Amino acid sequence: MDLSALETGFCLCTFAHWLDILMVIVLCGFLIAGYPVALTLGGVALIFAVIGMAAGVFDVSFLKPYPSRIFGAVSNTTLIAVPMFILMGVILEKSKIAEDLLDEMAKLFGSLPGGLGLSVTFVGALLAASTGIVGATVVTMGLLSLPTMLRRGYDPAFASGSIAAAGTLGQIIPPSIVLILLGDVISNAYQRAQLELGVTSPDTVSVGHLFAGALLPGLMLVGLYMAWQIFVAVTSPSKAPPIPAEELGSRREIWISALKVMPAPLLLIASVLGSILAGAATPTEAASVGAVGALLIAGGRIAPKTSFAAGRPAIYATAVAVLLLILLTSLFDLRLGREQISTSEQIGIALAFLLCAITPWGIFTSLYHLAKTATLSPVVDQTARVTTMVFTILIGAALFSLVFRGLGGDDTVERALSATPGGAFGAVVLVMFVMFVLGFFLDFIEITLVVVPLVGPPLLMMGIDPIWLGVMMAINLQTSFLTPPFGFALFYLRGVAPDSVSTTQIYRGALPFVGIQIFALGLIAVFPAIATTLPKLLYP
Amino acid sequence: MGVIVGDILNWLACALVFPLMALPLAALASRARLQSSGLFLVIVFAITGAGAVFIHLVPALTLSASAISIGIFVSAVIAIATLVYIAGGAALAAAKLGALARAITQTAGRTVMWLLLVMALVQFAIVLLRYVFGVNWIFMQESVTYMHGIVFLVAAGYALITDDHVRVDIIYRGASEKRKALTNLIGTYFALFPICLLILWASSPYVARSWAVFEGSTDTSGIQGVFLLKSLIPTFAVLMAFGGFSIAQSAASTLNERET
Repeated sequence: MDLSALETGFCLCTFAHWLDILMVIVLCGFLIAGYPVALTLGGVALIFAVIGMAAGVFDVSFLKPYPSRIFGAVSNTTLIAVPMFILMGVILEKSKIAEDLLDEMAKLFGSLPGGLGLSVTFVGALLAASTGIVGATVVTMGLLSLPTMLRRGYDPAFASGSIAAAGTLGQIIPPSIVLILLGDVISNAYQRAQLELGVTSPDTVSVGHLFAGALLPGLMLVGLYMAWQIFVAVTSPSKAPPIPAEELGSRREIWISALKVMPAPLLLIASVLGSILAGAATPTEAASVGAVGALLIAGGRIAPKTSFAAGRPAIYATAVAVLLLILLTSLFDLRLGREQISTSEQIGIALAFLLCAITPWGIFTSLYHLAKTATLSPVVDQTARVTTMVFTILIGAALFSLVFRGLGGDDTVERALSATPGGAFGAVVLVMFVMFVLGFFLDFIEITLVVVPLVGPPLLMMGIDPIWLGVMMAINLQTSFLTPPFGFALFYLRGVAPDSVSTTQIYRGALPFVGIQIFALGLIAVFPAIATTLPKLLYP
Repeated sequence: MGVIVGDILNWLACALVFPLMALPLAALASRARLQSSGLFLVIVFAITGAGAVFIHLVPALTLSASAISIGIFVSAVIAIATLVYIAGGAALAAAKLGALARAITQTAGRTVMWLLLVMALVQFAIVLLRYVFGVNWIFMQESVTYMHGIVFLVAAGYALITDDHVRVDIIYRGASEKRKALTNLIGTYFALFPICLLILWASSPYVARSWAVFEGSTDTSGIQGVFLLKSLIPTFAVLMAFGGFSIAQSAASTLNERET
């Protein structure tokens, strides 16, 4: 018997080249146990690094860049948009603006067949455009709308399906946190792919590109959901009965109260998204405007009307001042430090100074009232916790991919993709399928940060459009969140749904929407222009 | 200077954080006073010994500790074991230290979280200044980066003890308290603590290099404190280890409760 073979580790030598694949399998096993994902990612990676070292197939120097990877998450200016968008979303959620919107929309659409379902989809889309935090929307709407819908005689399956589906819109409708992360990862992957192909002047893909690409598909999904809801309500009215119009009060009153709640959030969303898409602002800049805007809306909702110094007038004054500033900037050249500044421009600058001096007034009034109603501290607290959660996953995923690369995993992925029958299309289908399955038990953030950096470069080297790929991935994962029995959105809804709604009903309700998602995926696969036209128009 | 910082970090990793991590394990294994502090010694030296053997066996690894660091490490471990004995056993010592670790991470997190608000307001001011007046100060933009880094690196331990990190809770949610505690205990020892040690180990030369030249901004008008920002990486590891200590301690005490 050859003892030396035993001594160097017979089993390790056999498995040494499979360590990368084994690592993924073991990861899945450990994740199911329920320890925080970010740490499980890093922990499994370390265990395999140690095994790899013992087997002599892993070089410890692969671990040395780890601190600089962590620092990369600190110094990456695009990622700074993440905490600010989270702040904006949490403010809107905690200050009950989402509740107001749901109430008003329910009254507005309520008398239509399937009206409550439509209002859920509509508000889901609005909230999606403002937050994009996976669980928050489903939980909010599940708590607020599901009881109402059930009381009004909606079919429990139909009602819960509508809510779960509307809740997942947050991932695809920009600006969403996952699109920011995805944009960052895809842009890196695209650069690497072009470097490997020897492109001398590489194209770049930005988060803005991805936002632009995801906008139309997102709106298309909203349209498809609504079409389905109307179809159900018309063909089987017992599933989604309209609320008798007389119960809701006069049309005029409904419109007036709706017009009070609607414009501010709509304006905020439009301005944040618009400034990014127009290329006027980076996502980080737009996010800060969004956060301050959300702060003002929240302040305006609770500040007393009567107090002048620290009441609504202050907030309105600030809002008007900001609008005037935009107007002024578009009329005059207000830049300082130029050689010649004409008299009218000087007056403009003086005015702008004045307007700028007004803005802190409303901001601090809002902060004051939020602090007084004990809302500010929970808002900041939750923002901090969600932010660190996201970035800890980034830190864990960085370690995982360092070790995976060190074990030769990226070669394995590349070989697997190029060996897939059907060329680029086959490879995309394979990746989509894998991501879909992973979406059953991993959050969007983890999949984006772990899988996309690995599969991105080889896929993009096959000549696939990066924006199209990003949008397809986003919709794919959104679908996976909605798919029984493991969809995340369904878990969140189960957590807040009353016991009278059975889990089977939730599953049954989600299925038609899964069908819609798959239809949309197919549509974008056949007509990539749905995703790529807008970016081309906006960023020629 | 840089060398000193590197040494301090290694010292932190070896002599303070690492032996303390073994405390909840010792508490789990035994509640008796002498026995548990003895067990603590055995566990720490067993893990260290296993690590040393591993390092010795793998030729690619060149980790060498100076006699002084080994001396510091051994004396710190013995000192902790003595303190554990005086405190009345590992369980009591771990409970006290766990509460302390919890308080430290929580205070750190709840202090830096306000920077999120400041950061959004500063960024808003930057937007106004740039788009209206065409004025742009690099230090302002950099201050946002600094706040961003401080928040997520310092508050990560806090999110750990408030249990905000995403779990795959298909099984976990329905599990018994004891099973949850076991998951947390095993996860903390096999994932969290090793990651913290890795970060401490890998970041000490990285941070030391930065301190050696007092690395500043790439721009002369920027904030000249990149070396401080980079020092937050080992700080992150230490705070995460504190959070992990508190989790491991409460998990160990849950497991102990059920057994008696």
